[in-house]
Amino acid sequence: MIHKNIPFFCIIFFLVSLSGIAQEDTTEPKEYKKRVLETMEVNLLSSYYTQDGENAAVTGGRGTEELSDIAPSINVAIPLNDDDVLSIDATISAYTSASSSNINPFDGDQVADPFVASTGASGGDTWFGLTANYSHSSEDRNTVISGNISFANEYDYTSFGFGGSLTKLFNQKNTEFQIKANLFFDTWGPQYPIEFRDGFNLNDYSFTGNANYSGNYKDFENKGRNSYSLGLSLSQILSKSIQTIFMADMVVQDGLLSTPHQRVYFADIEDTTIENFILGNDIERLPDSRMKLAVGNRTNFYLNQNFILRTYYRYYTDDWGINSHTFKLELPVKIGLNYTLYPMYRYYTQTQADYFGEFNMLLSTQEFYTSDYDLATYNAHQYGLGFKFYDPLNKFKIGNFGLKSINVEYNYYQRVNQNFDAHITSVGFNFVGD
Amino acid sequence: MIKTITKITLVSLFLTSCVAIKEYEKININDPDMKLSERDLDKYKSTFQSYREAAAGANGGKTGGGCGCN
Repeated sequence: MIHKNIPFFCIIFFLVSLSGIAQEDTTEPKEYKKRVLETMEVNLLSSYYTQDGENAAVTGGRGTEELSDIAPSINVAIPLNDDDVLSIDATISAYTSASSSNINPFDGDQVADPFVASTGASGGDTWFGLTANYSHSSEDRNTVISGNISFANEYDYTSFGFGGSLTKLFNQKNTEFQIKANLFFDTWGPQYPIEFRDGFNLNDYSFTGNANYSGNYKDFENKGRNSYSLGLSLSQILSKSIQTIFMADMVVQDGLLSTPHQRVYFADIEDTTIENFILGNDIERLPDSRMKLAVGNRTNFYLNQNFILRTYYRYYTDDWGINSHTFKLELPVKIGLNYTLYPMYRYYTQTQADYFGEFNMLLSTQEFYTSDYDLATYNAHQYGLGFKFYDPLNKFKIGNFGLKSINVEYNYYQRVNQNFDAHITSVGFNFVGD
Repeated sequence: MIKTITKITLVSLFLTSCVAIKEYEKININDPDMKLSERDLDKYKSTFQSYREAAAGANGGKTGGGCGCN
């Protein structure tokens, strides 16, 4: 039986050998390389934000903080070849702000009052931001180099920025290290409160209080603000279902770090009041340098096919005396293959800046002062709910783009020891090219 | 606090230095909700937080600069 099959085995062996020789004769087979990004992706995002409070910094820590903002955004990621991706992000943010309107509380029909929005021109503005990022991945996908440039502009603020990052993956892509640096060169076009501007004459108004009113105010000489940031991160897959990342950012800022339209009131100077509005004694004065350090960790747990737990913690400190802790939990719940619901909770706490004083509690003898309650001691809770729909088949199409996912979120933010709260609703549509 | 975080980091790295999950074992890790970066929509929350809060950074996003915020 065996002898009978020898010719058959010989023929098979001969054919297999031939095929081997044939393969050796050709050039080496090309190793399959997955493109970093298969096709163009487009993200259309938008948010609507509203807030209200009683401690507006424009009016020295006492006044309406009512604000609304709508911010559409488009993000396009374009694969230039197998290894390189160009992404461009453009955002417009249009807002109306009651407190900003009170930079000049006397230019509307209303009674001048820190709790009433002025109907004048300073009550709204539009911010525009554009960022371009280019990234290159190595052949083995273990190294990624990227560079970015950015521009942003609003009525009283312009910013240019650029930066880059280097990412290395090790340990069969279980470990990832990234170093990044960014520089921003910003310029203020200060909009000082009306009582500090040339041409303001107290005697044009009916007033009460100090008749010898004169602000402590002097113009800022340096209107630039530079920010230099260095960031490090190290991520590690801990098991088949847990991964973690440690992040550290150091930021050094110099230049005009005060906000030129934020008033302060001194306890040692008698008030001067027009209608219901007290004229500022000065604008906030803050040091011309600041160093910030933040370290954080994000750890995600794949609990089972229905539940994932995302955790986040950050500690922050700076040389203005502010220390802060941030905790965040998110619990994505999978509903079938295409839907995810994710409730989330965030807790934030901070200590006040060394230069902070409440409304009318600062002294004119101090070198630095602010009544910006964003720099006060407070705790805040944030509750949110998000919903995401995935369509892996991209069945819904617009032109050559298929819908990959829809994401909707609502968050409510509330400070515990200040009467301040905010609502933010955001929506995102992710499309991929055919 | 920083010392504690550093210790936890080092211990975590030590404990996991031998872990090497193969690509085909990363089904759970590759779930979109397991990403270690922020979600796309988080940029809006990060923006308002960077205006309303003193702290920024260490979240994979913006660290300051580019806006009239902190």
